[in-house]
Amino acid sequence: MTKTLTFNFGGLDCVGHASGALFVPDYDCLLIADVHLGKVSHFRKHGAAVPTAAIRSNFDRLDIAMEDFKTDRIYFLGDLFHSHTNKEWDYFAGWMEERKPKTTLVLGNHDIIPLSRYDALGITTCETGTLGDLKLTHIPEENPEQFTISGHIHPGVRLRGVGRQSISLPCFFISGKQMILPAFGSFTGKHVLRPGSDDRIYAIADGELMALHETP
Amino acid sequence: MKREELLNIAQGWFEGRGWNPFPFQKQTWNAYLQGKHGLLNAPTGSGKTYALWTPIVLSYIKSNPEYKTKHKKGIKALWITPLRALSVEIQQAAQRMADELETGLTVGIRTGDTTQAERAKQKRSMPDLLITTPESLMLLLASKDYPKLFKTLEAVVVDEWHELLGSKRGVQMELALSRFKTVCPKLRIWGISATIGNLDQAMDVLMGDSTEQEKPRVLIRAKRKPKVKVKSIIPKKMETFPWRGHLGLHLLEEIIPIIEASKTTIIFTNTRGQCEIWFQKILEKHPELAGELAMHHGSINKETRLWVEQAIRNESLKAVVATSSLDLGVDFAPVETIIQIGGPKGVAKFLQRAGRSNHRPGEPSLIYFLPTHALELVEASALKRAVTESVMEDRTPFLLCFDVLIQYLVTLAVSDGFKPEEIFPEVQRTFCFQGLTEEQWQWCLNFITKGSQSLESYNEYRKVLIQEDGLFKVTDRRIAMMHRLSIGTIVSDAMLLVKYVSGGFIGTVEEWFLGKMKPGDTFVFAGRTLELVRLRNMTAQVRKSKKRSSNVVSFMGGRLPLSSQMSQLLREELQSSSAYKSQTRELRALSHIFERQLQESIVPASYEFLIESFETREGFHVVFYPFEGRFVHEALSHILAYRISLLIPISFSLAYNDYGFELLSDQVWDVQLIFDNELFTPEYLLQDLEKSINATEMASRKFRDIAVISGLVFQGYPNKTVKTKHLQSNSRLLFKVFKDFEPDNLLLQQAYRETFEHELEEGRLRIALERICNQDMVWRPCEKPTPFSFPIITDRLREKMSSEKLSDRIKRMRVQYEA
Repeated sequence: MTKTLTFNFGGLDCVGHASGALFVPDYDCLLIADVHLGKVSHFRKHGAAVPTAAIRSNFDRLDIAMEDFKTDRIYFLGDLFHSHTNKEWDYFAGWMEERKPKTTLVLGNHDIIPLSRYDALGITTCETGTLGDLKLTHIPEENPEQFTISGHIHPGVRLRGVGRQSISLPCFFISGKQMILPAFGSFTGKHVLRPGSDDRIYAIADGELMALHETP
Repeated sequence: MKREELLNIAQGWFEGRGWNPFPFQKQTWNAYLQGKHGLLNAPTGSGKTYALWTPIVLSYIKSNPEYKTKHKKGIKALWITPLRALSVEIQQAAQRMADELETGLTVGIRTGDTTQAERAKQKRSMPDLLITTPESLMLLLASKDYPKLFKTLEAVVVDEWHELLGSKRGVQMELALSRFKTVCPKLRIWGISATIGNLDQAMDVLMGDSTEQEKPRVLIRAKRKPKVKVKSIIPKKMETFPWRGHLGLHLLEEIIPIIEASKTTIIFTNTRGQCEIWFQKILEKHPELAGELAMHHGSINKETRLWVEQAIRNESLKAVVATSSLDLGVDFAPVETIIQIGGPKGVAKFLQRAGRSNHRPGEPSLIYFLPTHALELVEASALKRAVTESVMEDRTPFLLCFDVLIQYLVTLAVSDGFKPEEIFPEVQRTFCFQGLTEEQWQWCLNFITKGSQSLESYNEYRKVLIQEDGLFKVTDRRIAMMHRLSIGTIVSDAMLLVKYVSGGFIGTVEEWFLGKMKPGDTFVFAGRTLELVRLRNMTAQVRKSKKRSSNVVSFMGGRLPLSSQMSQLLREELQSSSAYKSQTRELRALSHIFERQLQESIVPASYEFLIESFETREGFHVVFYPFEGRFVHEALSHILAYRISLLIPISFSLAYNDYGFELLSDQVWDVQLIFDNELFTPEYLLQDLEKSINATEMASRKFRDIAVISGLVFQGYPNKTVKTKHLQSNSRLLFKVFKDFEPDNLLLQQAYRETFEHELEEGRLRIALERICNQDMVWRPCEKPTPFSFPIITDRLREKMSSEKLSDRIKRMRVQYEA
């Protein structure tokens, strides 16, 4: 069990990262879903005093993921920004300025900020993206023809042991030709899925990544 | 007018009605007229309303001799009651006296049920006496110009103070009183409390930190010792009576003759679910009772409840199946008999229930006790002793509730705004916040103004603004409205309204119960079988169903642990084992169980601490019997499992009830290591507790209420409440970010503190460990489960404890696959 784990998806080697990011070496890029930037400020604006340190943490982990894989190419698979722009947009703009990653955003249901503002930061936006034969979407879609990677769900998995032990963990969830990435953001919840027996799950526990169920 | 003359007016009024004031009433009149504060210890239905309303009227007469012709405007007194239902009764009594003495005094009610028009009218011209709840009082403090409104206030009477004392509503009261003391200089503070173990402390909490000279005070006790006779319902065939269970339906037939022999009977159950089931089953077995049997619990709609209460008074009911919703409140003269189903877990609760039966003067109240499993008969035996020895539980007041303080500060900011230098000393003089430090105070101010403690210049956080003159004020109307809607300290699960498709409101059900049902599914609620037609917003539309359904509505919570007083009695009862044959009827009835127990093990004496071990298909069981109540056992089991796991790598599954706890493992281990390593030592208790118990999980549950009370999460607008699921996940999410990024957050720490003090009863735990260390530990390896162990090992609500690393544990766990 380590901070990263390599597995095959659609004939490609994929490297899961304990932050929730996915690295695809053949294309030298990171796939990241559901960062929900601005959510902390959004809550604070409505009178809920969420710690501001949670804002910083998102950027710190983005830095770590980029450094660990020595890459500057990022695909955000939707819900990059939680709501309308707020101060966190400025932080994000500052971060983009400093790191200058080549960035594409596949638009998600939360992404309501005018596209021109992404343009201004040099971010390409699209409804769906492609990575070779892979399709990139925000909301998972059942497509028997094509391997797809998406986000949106914030997948989690529940584990049970003897004596009614139970724990739930965020995970990479692979079902057939569909991979769903865990939510990357530090202020996001998770939705527990119940996998079928052919599904593959790579869960994040205590800053490490582990294969829970891998079909040979 | 002299005091003598005033008292004569009251005496005359009493005599005119053919009454004679009780000594405690006269004592209270005198004390009040002397300008004293105080606490009156008197049970419901003893004339406590007239004990305190009378001197308030007399005091008005004194200061306004022309009272018959000239009415002096402005509110004179506040009467705080925890239950809305009680307010009408108090109003009628108070108004009667005010009218008959021709005082022209008016009595008004202001609760959540009061109409908007009525409120506006009150705002223009306050009644002389206002009867209200702590929440509605806070709402008054959230309205503009409240100091003007209460300028003329002379007295605050807090009724049923014992009910408020051990809750955050009590803290709310303390804070409100701290404000009133400044706003109304002539204020007299009085409480009324039923008997509890810590009456003196109850008075201190009510008065706050003011000296005896400042505020002369008295504790007045109505000397009316309740006479109670307890009768256990003992099954004829004890041998077939189950060793476990919590419904008690086996004994259903036994209560029918009791119901028939008495005018009206109240059957008390411990949970709403149990109440529904009993109601259903009685009617099923005895359809002849239809129409004469009713049900009463907190989730049934108000009209139905009021109808039931009225029907009890009219003697048109033979029996009512109820929950604690009938514990308090108005008296029901026709009730002759009480039946308690299952252990009431506390002496005070039991006596309160027993007292609901109105008996002829001099005759004792009769309460039947129906055990739900065999060992509960020991509880019955202990209760009997509690009654004769007048043992009473304490109500422990809360300390440093930052969530309530934050809510209170925003309340003040919503009305006229506040200046910290004025409010801080007031708050510090309450019992709850006597230990409040300057730093903590500053933290709370930062929390409501900046939403954090850091001094970042940029901030989008908006709640309370600091104005140029230093006034802390809410200026945003939306924030003010949301705050007013959120005032209160009772956080309940979101409730769904249950209505017929054709209209007609039946009651409310917790969302999680109906949330998992599909249209067409049936369930039993309010004594009817209902079919779910559709869920729309927060309303479940249903129709009557002819189908039989065993899906009875269930509700969260409500399971109380054994009080420490009851635990003690229970231990003594059991531990007089050697002589059990000559003991009470209940213990004699249990003789065959004791014999069975003795075949495999022992019945522990007072100096013994019993540990049993045996193997079953499930694994290796080790069962311990401290008899300390389930909360203490929960904590004890975790500590012990943790301490063992430091010595050997092992995973345990834990179970506990009020009598003992169990460690179940998939491997056999040597129990001797408990003795060799002194694993029951009270040393390092707190450290081990923090490491062992899933304190984080428990605290995160506690945090939900704290998040709601402190305004971190909003429960939604009326008729558009946020779903519990969302509330839960929002507060969990908040808990997680606080834990990760702001571990010294006072609200987060409060969640842990409340977990340790209230959930785990740390203080009691320490005493229990000290006691166990001084006992002889007896380890009995057994061939098979003993009668004592049976209710514990069959408990399905289990927890886990493991010394293995998370990763190792996960390797042994299995993913939950699709069903």
